[in-house]
Amino acid sequence: MTSMEMAGFPILSAILMTTVFGLLAIIFIPAERTKLIKQVSLGFATLGLVLCIWLYFAYDHQRGGLQFVERVLWVKSLGIYWFNAVDGINLPMLLLTAVVLFTGIWTMWELENRVKEFFALVFLLVAGVYGVFMSMDLFWIFVWYDVSLFPMYPLIAIWGGTRKEYGAMKLTLYLLAGSALILPAILYLWAQGGANTFDLFELQRIGFSAFDQKLTFVMLYLGFGILAAVWPFHTWSPVGHVAAPTAVSMIHAGVLMKLGAYGILRIAMTLCPEGTAYWSNLMAFLACVGIVYGALVGLAQTDLKYVIGYSSVSHMGIVGLGLATMTVGGINGAVFQMFAHGIMTALFFSSVGYIYDRTHTKIIPELGGLSKTMPIASSFFIIAALAGIGVPLMASFWAELLVFIAAVQVFPVGGVLALAGLIVSALFMLRVVQKTFYGEKNPRWEHIPDVNPFMAVPRIILVSIIVFFGLFPKLMLDIIQGTVIPFASRF
Amino acid sequence: MDALPRDPVLLATVLGTSLPFLSMAVILIFTRANRQLSSRISVAAIGCSLASALFLLITLRAAPGAIQYQTEWFSSGNFNVAFGYYLDPLSLLMLTIVAVIAFLVQVYSLGYMAGDPGFSRYYAFQSLFAWAMMNMVIAGSLLQLFIFWELVGLASYLLIGFYYEKWSASQAGKKAFVMTRVGDVGFFLGIIILVIGFGNLGIPELNTAGASHSIPQQLITVSALLILCGVIGKSAQFPLLTWLPDAMEGQTPVSALLHSATMVAAGVYMFSRIFPFFSASPEAMTAALAIGTVTMILASTMAMVTYDIKQVWAYSTISQLGLMVMALAAGGYFAGVYHLTTHAGFKALLFLCSGIFIHSFHTNDMRIIGKEGGRRLTIPTVCMTIGALALAGVFPFSGFFSKEAILGVLAAQPGKIWLYAGLIGALLTAYYSFRLIFYIVLPQGGISASSDSGHHEPSHDEEHHGYIFWAMAVPVIILAGLTLILGLFFEHPLQGFISGMLGHGSASVLLVQHTTPEAHGIGHELLLALGVSAGLFGIALAWFEFGRKDSSRTGFLSCFPSIWRLFDLRWFMDIFFRKALDTAVYAGLTSLFTKNDRRIIDGAIDGICFFTEAGGRLFSFLQSGMLQYNLLVMALGAGVAILFFLV
Repeated sequence: MTSMEMAGFPILSAILMTTVFGLLAIIFIPAERTKLIKQVSLGFATLGLVLCIWLYFAYDHQRGGLQFVERVLWVKSLGIYWFNAVDGINLPMLLLTAVVLFTGIWTMWELENRVKEFFALVFLLVAGVYGVFMSMDLFWIFVWYDVSLFPMYPLIAIWGGTRKEYGAMKLTLYLLAGSALILPAILYLWAQGGANTFDLFELQRIGFSAFDQKLTFVMLYLGFGILAAVWPFHTWSPVGHVAAPTAVSMIHAGVLMKLGAYGILRIAMTLCPEGTAYWSNLMAFLACVGIVYGALVGLAQTDLKYVIGYSSVSHMGIVGLGLATMTVGGINGAVFQMFAHGIMTALFFSSVGYIYDRTHTKIIPELGGLSKTMPIASSFFIIAALAGIGVPLMASFWAELLVFIAAVQVFPVGGVLALAGLIVSALFMLRVVQKTFYGEKNPRWEHIPDVNPFMAVPRIILVSIIVFFGLFPKLMLDIIQGTVIPFASRF
Repeated sequence: MDALPRDPVLLATVLGTSLPFLSMAVILIFTRANRQLSSRISVAAIGCSLASALFLLITLRAAPGAIQYQTEWFSSGNFNVAFGYYLDPLSLLMLTIVAVIAFLVQVYSLGYMAGDPGFSRYYAFQSLFAWAMMNMVIAGSLLQLFIFWELVGLASYLLIGFYYEKWSASQAGKKAFVMTRVGDVGFFLGIIILVIGFGNLGIPELNTAGASHSIPQQLITVSALLILCGVIGKSAQFPLLTWLPDAMEGQTPVSALLHSATMVAAGVYMFSRIFPFFSASPEAMTAALAIGTVTMILASTMAMVTYDIKQVWAYSTISQLGLMVMALAAGGYFAGVYHLTTHAGFKALLFLCSGIFIHSFHTNDMRIIGKEGGRRLTIPTVCMTIGALALAGVFPFSGFFSKEAILGVLAAQPGKIWLYAGLIGALLTAYYSFRLIFYIVLPQGGISASSDSGHHEPSHDEEHHGYIFWAMAVPVIILAGLTLILGLFFEHPLQGFISGMLGHGSASVLLVQHTTPEAHGIGHELLLALGVSAGLFGIALAWFEFGRKDSSRTGFLSCFPSIWRLFDLRWFMDIFFRKALDTAVYAGLTSLFTKNDRRIIDGAIDGICFFTEAGGRLFSFLQSGMLQYNLLVMALGAGVAILFFLV
């Protein structure tokens, strides 16, 4: 492979630059011009979204493989490349990121407190996320990964809610602990590779000894697994969700948790196929426990955001279970679930954010009867809850179907147990819907206006995506499996 | 897609089954504010569906074989999911039943729901239901059937909990969803196992494979038993039956549509849909037979003690569904499907009549309705009696014919216990239905004076709902007419239709063998006499206790308070489930895991943080900034190092 490969317009770098330029633009706008800051933010987010949608249509899923490759040697002595590309695994993730950023910024339209800093940090966060998803160079993946982690602390600690300092600190410590496992693993692989390269695919071609694979896989799995809220490293996630402001919760649960699962898939499983096979039982075990455990703990929660946090633990368990099967169906389902869950959680947090902004509470017993005063805001949450239960013709149903088929085949006992989790998740979602939205009209919330059309737009977009890919799963699965079929053939 | 305009059958199928969805979308998005328009859109859509269904039924009545349309939905690896329609006599019949009942119920609702603030939303959900149910009926594969099956459950959840401000209503909706979900997870697992083991979910393929035993017996048994869980949940069979009576929280037309005639029939429909597959597994058939029998008896006993008219019909629905499951499990394909058809008609009739009473008297209690002059509402009283006669299996009403067919099948079983259970069920059914009828028609002490003089209710009706009464009465009259003719004139045509086309499929051998039940050991005439006398004896008993002039009107069960209590509390099933849920889930696992999260996982992490911080604080004492301490520590450290190296 030559040191330089650039085919046409570097669209991936352009997508990344929308966030960097967005950040710069915000920095140069005076802090008191909040309206302008919001407009500029939304403008750059829109640009990123448009580019990602274009990418989605331009990607040739019949050809599959890496496309839109940008590969430039950056540091020769260490073998670091500016290497961006898309395939069927990261394309859905990029699209997801763009959608969540766009809707997240729109959701935060009514923010008053330190607007400038908030949006600047959000753009920094998303720059890191885009970077991880598009980069194919281990060094850059790690750098972008840490870039995406850093802004979480101030975003939660400054704009957060319940126990924000505790939540922010806990999240940061957990994720840094993950980083501390990932970095040595990456360096170890780089050293063992002996080819002086951080290029993911060159390392893949080299191949590693069984011992190296087993060692680095478990380090990478745990390191990234913390971010994907793998049980028992999940407790930071509900606490962090609860503490974070709405858009940050959306990005965090919608996108950031996917970084973890993506890291496992992109780095650990790509470089260590034997290691994956060795540890797959552990992965499946932790995932199944997470699915059932998350749903059961969610039953006992009284804070709306905790409920969603634990549902995320449960749903990310489905992703982990899909990956652990190492089959085409399972990985297809896992990637699809990452996308579907991202959109769904964004809708969840976006709806809760609206309710919290108006009522200043997200304690379920204090709410109740909200459907009477704000039917539209309530329906958004209820739709998200139905998607969470796995109602058919919503995107996550297909993802769960694929994962469960693969799981029952590969891990019969775990798969059946995880299926039982579906009953619990139905119970706990409907319980929350009932206690929050049904019941007598609560006089305390009578004065609260329903979502106005402008603020409904981002939620409508999210609902449409859920239903669209629920009706036409082919449009996403064809892209995913074009890459997953060759990927899974190596196991 | 190109074939769409050129193929009238496909066009009718697509239009008929998708228009209600369109109507739901239009109502929810655009016409929520305009109640009249919303209801018109919905009724027009279901009207088109009805027309399409009738068109299909008539066009394809003599078709040589099943018609199948199929297109790829998506594929993942070697798992292909097709979207398609499968039109055979069974699906065409069911499609027509659903369309007829849904149409009549929507017309009826124009009257029943008039003036309700949620009118538009009600019609949107009705459309959603009709769409899901019709698509489920004509689904070409088991997975597609499951998808719409779940959506039917969703529509049902939304309609039961329609008055969501009422706690009991939202509770009932949740209970229905979760309890059916328990069965559905089994169904889902059954599908997954079939995908893994057989790789094809097409309904004709499954039936062929079942009939020809081309898949391993163990696979058939396991998956059939799991799929049976779905039937148990959806059709409210034992032990997942208590959600159905609670679902009566929904409005009466909803109960008529969902919880008697169509939605709960989905389980039985699915059973008959893949009947040859099921019958390839004797274990699954025996299990179904036992479950159906237990359900039928249990539900009948519950119906004997309640005073709520809707509850009586709800329990009778469960018991009739149990009877259908028994029929199918005993191999009586036609008997089961036929009873499904007749039951849909007369049960919708019974509910819609009850709705008129409830609407007029604002109560569900049969004693009060009777006292306040329920019988003066002539049309519903007459029609309800027709429905009850059909339910009790009295000649010449439709229920008589289908019940006789089922008893014939049961008599053909090697063990006589199923036949006896069926006869007892018939007796109990007749008893509790006429208990209700006598309470309303012949109230104790006549009609009370207060309502007699006031003419309160009828005048109220004339004032507000003059035409609306007819919107409610016309569907009822139509259904009563159907109940009269469906048995007398349609048994043989239906039998020919249902069994005829199957002769062309490869599953035919098995089906024909099962569809011509011959009562072994018991002659046809004797069976007929037994069946009729069971029904008549039940009615006579009811008349003796509730109908005749100076009867006690308490029923023989009131002599046994503990049994009364047992029946009244639904054999303690609800209490058992509640307790199990509370102790095993809420107080058990949930609380245990939550504590684990808080105490052990977070505790450990916080502990690490605490000790790190404490360690830092401890060592920070060393960094006091006082030179002499630093020197002291240095000297001590050096001393220790020297000792270490020397020794």
